[in-house]
Parts: sequence; C-alpha cells; structure tokens
Amino acid sequence: MSVMHRVRLPVGATTLVEIGHGVEPAEVLATSRPPGGGTSLQVASRLRRSAAEAVDLLSVRPGTVLEAGERLAEDGDGREVLAPYACLFLGYDADDGTALIAPLGATEPILGHVRGEVTSVGAEAIEIRVTGALVAGVGGSGSAVHGELRMAVHEPGEELRAGAIDVGATGRIMVGGSRASAETLTRARAMGVAGIVLGGVLDKELRDFEATQVRRREVGGVRGDFAIVMISGFGKVGLDAALFAWFQSHEGRLASLFGAAARIYVYDADPPPARRALARVGDRVIAHRRPFAGLGGELVRVLDLPHATPAGVTARSGLVRFEDGRSAIVPLANLEAMEPRDSG
Amino acid sequence: MTEISTELALLVDVGSAWAKAGVIGRIRGRWRLVAHAAQPTAWGPAELRRSLIRQLNAAGDPRLADRFDELLASANRIECHTARQPGRLAVVAVSRELSGSTARRAAEAAGWQVTELVTLDDGRSLAERLATLQAADVDAWLVAGGFDDSRSPRALEAAALVASARMPDGGPVIWAGSAQLTNEVMLLFEGGAASAVANARPDAKREEPGPLRDRLQAILRQSVAPEDEAHLSTIAFTHAVGAIAADGGLRVLAVDLGARGGVRVVAEADGTTSTTVHSSGGMAGATLMAGAAGRVARLAGDAGDEAAVADVLQTLRARPASLPQTPEELSATQAAARMLIGAMVEDPATDPVDLVIGAGLTISGAPHPAQAARMLLDGVRPLGITQLAVDSGSVLGPLGSLGDDEIGEGMTLLADDLLLPLGTAVVCRGGEPGDAAMRVTVHRSGWPTPSPVEVRVGQLLVAPLGRGQEAELLIEPAAGVSLGAPRRSSRIQARATGGAVGLILDARGMPIALPRRGDDRRAVLAGWRDALIRETERIA
Repeated sequence: MSVMHRVRLPVGATTLVEIGHGVEPAEVLATSRPPGGGTSLQVASRLRRSAAEAVDLLSVRPGTVLEAGERLAEDGDGREVLAPYACLFLGYDADDGTALIAPLGATEPILGHVRGEVTSVGAEAIEIRVTGALVAGVGGSGSAVHGELRMAVHEPGEELRAGAIDVGATGRIMVGGSRASAETLTRARAMGVAGIVLGGVLDKELRDFEATQVRRREVGGVRGDFAIVMISGFGKVGLDAALFAWFQSHEGRLASLFGAAARIYVYDADPPPARRALARVGDRVIAHRRPFAGLGGELVRVLDLPHATPAGVTARSGLVRFEDGRSAIVPLANLEAMEPRDSG
Repeated sequence: MTEISTELALLVDVGSAWAKAGVIGRIRGRWRLVAHAAQPTAWGPAELRRSLIRQLNAAGDPRLADRFDELLASANRIECHTARQPGRLAVVAVSRELSGSTARRAAEAAGWQVTELVTLDDGRSLAERLATLQAADVDAWLVAGGFDDSRSPRALEAAALVASARMPDGGPVIWAGSAQLTNEVMLLFEGGAASAVANARPDAKREEPGPLRDRLQAILRQSVAPEDEAHLSTIAFTHAVGAIAADGGLRVLAVDLGARGGVRVVAEADGTTSTTVHSSGGMAGATLMAGAAGRVARLAGDAGDEAAVADVLQTLRARPASLPQTPEELSATQAAARMLIGAMVEDPATDPVDLVIGAGLTISGAPHPAQAARMLLDGVRPLGITQLAVDSGSVLGPLGSLGDDEIGEGMTLLADDLLLPLGTAVVCRGGEPGDAAMRVTVHRSGWPTPSPVEVRVGQLLVAPLGRGQEAELLIEPAAGVSLGAPRRSSRIQARATGGAVGLILDARGMPIALPRRGDDRRAVLAGWRDALIRETERIA
C-alpha cells in the first residue's frame, strides 16, 4: 500500500532532499525563514524618480526572497536600492514610491512527519510516496505529528479519561474509544502526547479545547504540535470494533497523524478494514446516526418496503443485529458495510 | 402474446450526496409519476435502477414485470447533476468584519467555495498568513479592502500578500477593493492575471456586492465549470423555475437546499430569473455559520441542548448522505434548514412573491408536509399572501435541463406531479403581542359563510383547504399590522389555493420573536408545530 503525500513549502524555503531520497518523519526536508511584519523601504526617492516611474525599475516580483545587499531596484545609471537585510519583497506602492518588505526571521526546520520516498521536489512542495496504511477520519483538529501508536482504552466504546494519560504517553499517538473531554485533551497536550485518535468527540468539547489552545498560544504558553482525529463521528461515538482491533494489532508501530486533514498513516501495517457504502444482507455493518452511532453489527435482512424511522423519515431499511445485543431497523443510508479482510 | 404499448421517461437528478430518480409513464392516457427513488449517490446508478424496478414491479402492470429493466434502459433519460467540483476561492481582505465579510458573502452567493479567508486583523503573523495562502489549493483569488475615497496601505498589503503567495499562472485574481489602488494592484501580478471590479464595500456604511458577484459568477463559469451547462443542477433548476413563473404569470421564489450547496432563484412573471448559488449554503454548511448550534437549539426547541445540536450539525457535514433517525435529530435538521433558508433569502433581500417552492431532500422529503411548510414559512417569511409548494418528485432539475421548446411540454405532461402544493400562507407583521393581528374570513364555494377567524400577534393557525380547492379571503389587518403591500382600505380581498397543509394564517411577525425563557420558548415552538400538524380541523 502506498499513498502520495504532499508537503507544502512556504515562500523562499530551501529544500534539503532530492528525488529518491528516503525520509523519516522527524527528518528536516527543508528550511525556511518566516517573515516578520512588513515595513516600508524608500525606492523612488533613492532612484531620483517619480513613484510611478520607479515601478519599471524594480528587479524583483512580489514573493521574491532577497538576501542582505541583494538588489531590489536599479535605474541603469548606477543608482540602485539594495535589501537592507534578508527580507521578503511583498509589493510596491506606486503612489508613495516605497517597497513593502518583510524581514526574515531565524531559520526554522520543515518536517514532513511521514516516512517514505521523495518523488518530486519543487519550490511549492515536496511529494513523498508513503508506504503504509491510510485511515481517513470524519474530522480532526491540529497540525501534523508523528509517534508510536499506543492503545489508551481497552474497549472501542470506552471513554478516554484523563487518568489514562501518563508519562508513558509522551510523544505517542494515543488511540482512545468513544470520546475524550476537553480536560482529557488538555492533559494529553500538557503531558506531551503527540496526538489522539478517537471514535468520536463532542463537537462542543473539541471547540472548547481549541479555544483554550488559541488563548494559551496567544500568551505563549503552548509549545509543540498536537493533533486529534475522529474516525466515526461527532458525539459519544465508539470506534468500530474491527478497526479498534486493527489498531490494537499495530500497537507500537510508527504512525503519522494529520489533524486538520483527518488522516492517519500507519507504517509497516496490514490494510485496515475497508468500508463500502451499500450494505448487503450478511455484511458486518457500522451505524452512523443516533441512537446507534458507532455501533457495529450484522445486517440480517433488507426490508421489502421502505420503513419509517422514529423521526418519521421513510427510507429503504434493514434489520441490524448489533453487537451489544440489540436489534433495530436502520435506514441503509445510515450503514456502512465493513469489507472482510481477506476479500481481496 | 399481445404487445403492450408503453411509454416511459426517466428523470434523474444526481446530487453531491443524494441521487433522485423518477419514472413517468402514461396511465389511462395521462402521464404520471409512476415510480420515485432517492438514495445516496455513492450507491451508484445500477442500484438506483433496481429501486425503480422494485417499485414498478410492485405497482406497475404485472404483464410488464419482466420487462421493466429493458424498458428503463430504453426510456428517454432526462438528467441533471451537481457541478463535479465547486470553484475554490481564497479571499484576502483588510478587515474580517467589513471587506472580508462582504467579499466572502459575495463569493458564496456567486457559487464559490471559500476555502481560505485571510484578513489583516485575523491575529495571525505575516508568516502564518503567507503559509496559509501558499498552502491554499484554489482556482481563483479575491482581494478586497480600502474604501474608494482613500489609498489604504493595508489594502495594498493584502494584494501584496496574494502576489507573494500565489504561483505564476496560479489562477485569476479579482481586485474588489479601493478604486484608487487599482493600478498599483494590477502591477503586482503578471499580465492578464488580475482584473478589477467595483469595490464591494465603497465606504464604511455601504455594501454593493452586485458587480463583484456577477464577475465571480462569470469567472466560475469560464474557469471551473465548463461542463454541459444545461445539465448542471443550478442552471436546470433555474430554468424550470423560470418556466413555472412564465406559465402561471407568477413571481416565484425557489430555494433548493442540497446536502452541500444551496440555490435561490427569483423568477418574474415574464420568465426572467436571477439566481444565487450558495456553495456552502447546504445542510453541511450549517455548522459553518456563526453560533449555529446555539441558534438551531433555540429555533428547534425540542432538539436537545446546544452541545447535542452541535454534534448533529457536524454529522450533517461529515455524513451528508445519512438520515435523521431520532425525532431530536430531525428537529435539529429542520431547524438548521430554516436557518439556512433564512440566510439564503436575506442576501439579497427578496420582495414579496406569489409562490414559494422548496426543493432538496430535507424539504421535499420531510415526513409531514407541515414540516416542509414550516421550513419555508420560517426561513423565507413570505410577507403577504403566498402559495407554498415543494418539488416532492425532484423533477424540477431534470425538467429544467430540457430545451426551451420542450420544457413547456414536459410541464404539461407532468401536470399534477410537477409540484406538491402545500397551500397558501397569509403572513403579516406588526402589532402588539397578544393583540389581534388580523381577522380572516374564508369563503369557499358551496360552503356556508363562516365567522371570521381572529389571529393574534404571535399566533399561527391553519384552516383546512385541500388540494384543488380554492377560497376567497377577506383579510382585515389590525391597526399597525401590515401584509407588505400598501393598503388602500381596511380590508384586503385575495384568493387562496389549497394543498397538503391548507390555509396558513401566520401572525408571528418578521423576524419571528421567541420568548427568552427556555420553557416559554419551547412551549411556543411546540404550539406552532402542533398548530401546523393538528389544528387543521379545529378552526374550520
């Protein structure tokens, strides 16, 4: 299994890898010097031209990175304007004859957070072929992180509690169950957990957590990256049992987590249980809406006629025998079939 | 064996999350909708056909039982579909509240999906803004900021940001900021890449998004959706609504609330139309609206607390092809629909219309017609006397993909199956809470003259008026109460047509005022819900 992964590069980044290069998640792929706030630099007056005339004398276009002393504009008669320090040229104001430049800060590394082989290198991005299993979620939060997978709960429907986060979780990607409170997420971050995979989370708690992180970042109290990915849904929704078992069987493997993109790569892994939109009789299914959200079961029968849900919505439906012992008629639109691992 | 003559046509509307299909066939000389199916698009066309065949086998001529597959395969197929990929736009503006919000609304109303909004007051560093914009995978860029009477350096900085982050040939750039900076901004980009349009926010108090919206619509058509336009749902739906307006000599407002996007069409009696496409205005977009969960929880009353509603809204985004199973989820979904319709019709504001049409699975597939009527009534707030109908068979899109010479024939053939009439709404505003808002006398041919019905401010009543029935209304608004049009006398006469719900008398005002206290609010909301569903017989 391989997936193409794209690492976007900021303006003016210096790449450190070549095509064919094998990279590790913690490897620096490129460096960049992030620009600070923009400042004005007189151009027209130094060239002794009008503001409008000086437009044609610029040597650079917006987005160009200039080293200290590099030429920004020249008049052809020996007058020139040089960059006073390493900066990013943002634009030129033809009304007052100034250039808007942003000084470059200290060099910062750019990590890919993935293991794989570099397939292309450009000014805009580096592409890496990742050999591993991809698990896509329905939502997430945070940046790119990597770490070893560690199971934090024993059952797919179990809530991830703050007490399960200890020093052993530092730098790991924790796999939880049905939800985690804002307090648990805050503790996880404080303990240096790299990321968390959950069946679901209450949207409100996720937003509360994000809000506290923004405030802490504003006052400089947050360091390091942290990501959360939800696999099944929003609310108290457990991980599907088959997927939970798959994560269990890969505990200790290296994984990369992309919060905002809701993606997980697990390296050296078997394919995860695949899903199919339309379930058939005999399929193992997972339900996606309340009151059965996140529950797995077997589709026993598809009804001949459309059936009304308790809400009154009439839809093609089937009888599902859930793993918790309950049986219920569920709209087929709310079910996904889990493909058996050996199906091919 | 005698050969049975059959004539079938297949109408298909393939949306981003749901596909709908209807079979029309000739029964005893009349064309009728003989089968209808809706399913998640991901299930594929073969399953959709199997669903239709199952229905035809159950209800069709048993002598054709083995032939429906073959008949459907050879049937005339009329299809429309949602654009395969929405146009993605990055918006860079000076201020989130002024230029940024104006630009964003104009872009979404033009059908663009705003994937990035960067403003110079968003609290991010320059490096973060640059990184965000460079990572943006977009089809076009919109830059806005500065008033027309000034040369704002911040507006120029916004344009410079785009110039720095955007790769050469990285899509068109539209400048909709200060007119005094146009020349400078054009110089920031390679020749032909940037174009200017009138400032959408020419000063602090004025918003003029029309020219920007028109330009963005034109660019969207040129650069992103060069598909067969006639079969695009937005175009086809507009075409059908225009044909209905022209056919009936009516002013029509139609809202198509899809899983991901929404479309609003206003059609004049001469058939001319104006359309706004809200790319994030569908059910999945509810969670993106400011304070959505709280608003929906308040509007629904019986959908649970804000946290529970927030999860439902996120589920609508994450799993747009799933269906509400519990009454609470349905209530939240329909309240979200009312909020989304409200957002669609208020930008730009709509003058009174004769007919409001609702389309999209949430509205047309509502379990009870009263729920569909409630979504249209609460979302649109159609002041005056207005007919309400839904596209229950999802036929408007496919029908609208027909040419001008065929659409009239198609409408005639479908006749009673074209729209499901819900009835007529009489909506007023003004008056003091608890006081009488209007007295309405309903005269039906062949019925004894009834006593007038008094509707109090804040009240919602329903009088029975079935499909195909008509009534003469004598409306006497109280002092300070308006039905929209200027009044020459204290009495207004109007004609009402019936439908699945009946005659709706709505004095809840504009906008609808809800009690602050939770218990009071829930009681009032439940009263309105019950009135629409159950009071039909009570006030006859």
